[in-house]
Amino acid sequence: MKKPLKSAIYWIILSPLMVLNLFPFAVMFFTAVKPRNELFLYPPRWLPNHFRWQNFVDMWQQTGFGTALFNSLYVSITSAALAVILAIPAAYALSRSRFRGQRAFGQYLLVTQMISPMVLVLGLLQLLVLVGGIDNDSSLILIYGAFNFAFTVMMLQSYFDTIGREIEEASWIDGATRLRSLIRIFLPLAVPAIVVSSTVAFINAWNEFVIALTILRSSATYTLPLLVYSQVAGRYQIEWEQVMAATLLATVPAAIVFSFLQRYLIAGMTAGAVK
Amino acid sequence: MSQSQLDIPIAVPAISPRPKLVFQDPRFLLVPGLILTIIIIGYPAGDLLWLSLHSVSRFGRILGANAFGNYRDLFLDPLFVASIWRTLIWTVTVVGGTMAISIPVALILNEEFHGRGIARTVIMLPWSVSLTMTAVVWRWALNGRAGLLNATLMNLGVMQTPIEWLGRAHLAFCVEIVVGILVSIPFTTTILLGGLSSIPRDIYEAGAVDGGRPYRLFLHMTMPLLKPFLNIAIVLNIIYVFNSFPIIWVMTAGGPADETDIMVTYLYKLAFQFGQLGKAAAISIIMLTILLIFTIIYATLLMRGKQSSVAEEV
Repeated sequence: MKKPLKSAIYWIILSPLMVLNLFPFAVMFFTAVKPRNELFLYPPRWLPNHFRWQNFVDMWQQTGFGTALFNSLYVSITSAALAVILAIPAAYALSRSRFRGQRAFGQYLLVTQMISPMVLVLGLLQLLVLVGGIDNDSSLILIYGAFNFAFTVMMLQSYFDTIGREIEEASWIDGATRLRSLIRIFLPLAVPAIVVSSTVAFINAWNEFVIALTILRSSATYTLPLLVYSQVAGRYQIEWEQVMAATLLATVPAAIVFSFLQRYLIAGMTAGAVK
Repeated sequence: MSQSQLDIPIAVPAISPRPKLVFQDPRFLLVPGLILTIIIIGYPAGDLLWLSLHSVSRFGRILGANAFGNYRDLFLDPLFVASIWRTLIWTVTVVGGTMAISIPVALILNEEFHGRGIARTVIMLPWSVSLTMTAVVWRWALNGRAGLLNATLMNLGVMQTPIEWLGRAHLAFCVEIVVGILVSIPFTTTILLGGLSSIPRDIYEAGAVDGGRPYRLFLHMTMPLLKPFLNIAIVLNIIYVFNSFPIIWVMTAGGPADETDIMVTYLYKLAFQFGQLGKAAAISIIMLTILLIFTIIYATLLMRGKQSSVAEEV
């Protein structure tokens, strides 16, 4: 039952949190459109005297935003694909077969899921020095793929468990090989779970910071979080209007996509994380 | 397969011919993922254990065994001991604050009201932004001279002169805790909403018929049913927050004067600024051990949840 009074009360209770969530977006926008000489006016104020859209063009040209955007897309898409491609057979085995060592493998997945790249960062750097993978975006793909493997398997497995065996068994009777029925019959049914888990893997890679910070050295390899960080870290003069233009461009498309996918993500996350 | 084939009743043999996998053993399907994760996660973990038990040059060369010397040096290092306390405060306050806000938020979002879709989207918004970017934006918003938080508070008449939010360690750490809470709410609310949606509506009607007051229904019906989800949200949040690096690193980099360092930021400084790799490896191993303990707690909670749901089905 929707009552106007109840709705109003709920909105009032939620509004402080919503204001705090929208605040960073407002900060990004109103800083990104300010001319540089208005940034440090005193007393500080929100609105610029005139809007300077040219900031976005300057930022794009001066910071190498396009390269970083490409690097981020490349690393996130391929690492998500890697995680899913490795996870599908593993999740299928866990869902459809019983074998010795299954419990141990489940525990292994849980442990690798809980270990964050942060804790291993020094060991990862040493490994990459050993194999010559420093300052290379392809190293990030392997690392993100590995760290996203565990939850991708768990998420896919919990969905695979809900797909009835009858359909597959029917196709075996029709003479399909198991591999053929897996590809032609089973995987099309699993598309929703594959989309959700690869989206989560994509977002994780898109947002990752500490490993990129440690192994990327030249600006041509920077991903977006590192590009933005490099504009503020250890600089005497920070061009905040450009930094905010960059965060805005990097953030808003992701936020829009996310708000569309949110409903599915929530369903998938709770299936993967809680069940 | 065409529809007509499905319609024709076919004589199914009693034992369906179960085609073999490409390889006989299903465990072959696990091998590719296992290889990648052992190289990327297993090898560095082993390497860190090895490093932590040796004295190491600043370029990573092993100089000789020193048993537990690195661990001893760590606990004699006042900066490390201070960072342990700060990690404890950071984790407890961020997780506590997140839970305290997320529970009512999830309860409200579980109700029907006008504009719920918009409210939900806005509350989930921080999830879509990387922690690095969030921290960069807040660092600018909190700028002591021209930051827009100062602008807002001065316009509202809350204060007359701007505050240097990140200039003093105490205040900076409090601000970082608030940002930590804000970014943890979406994930936590999501888990709790998942829990609330699994509670059937009719038990409330039954409770209301029996004359239960709303707050009693909440205490005696909602909370017990939500408990497994609360436990899982708490443990997962502890793990994430304990490991969280970007907020503190971007906003203050552990400064001023190393007074906002937590274990992860101190680990990063030891490894990549001070060149004390042996001690950095020792912190990594200590943190891995703590994570392992929390993983075991999490696994136990999951198992208990599964058993109780099986019991309900029976």
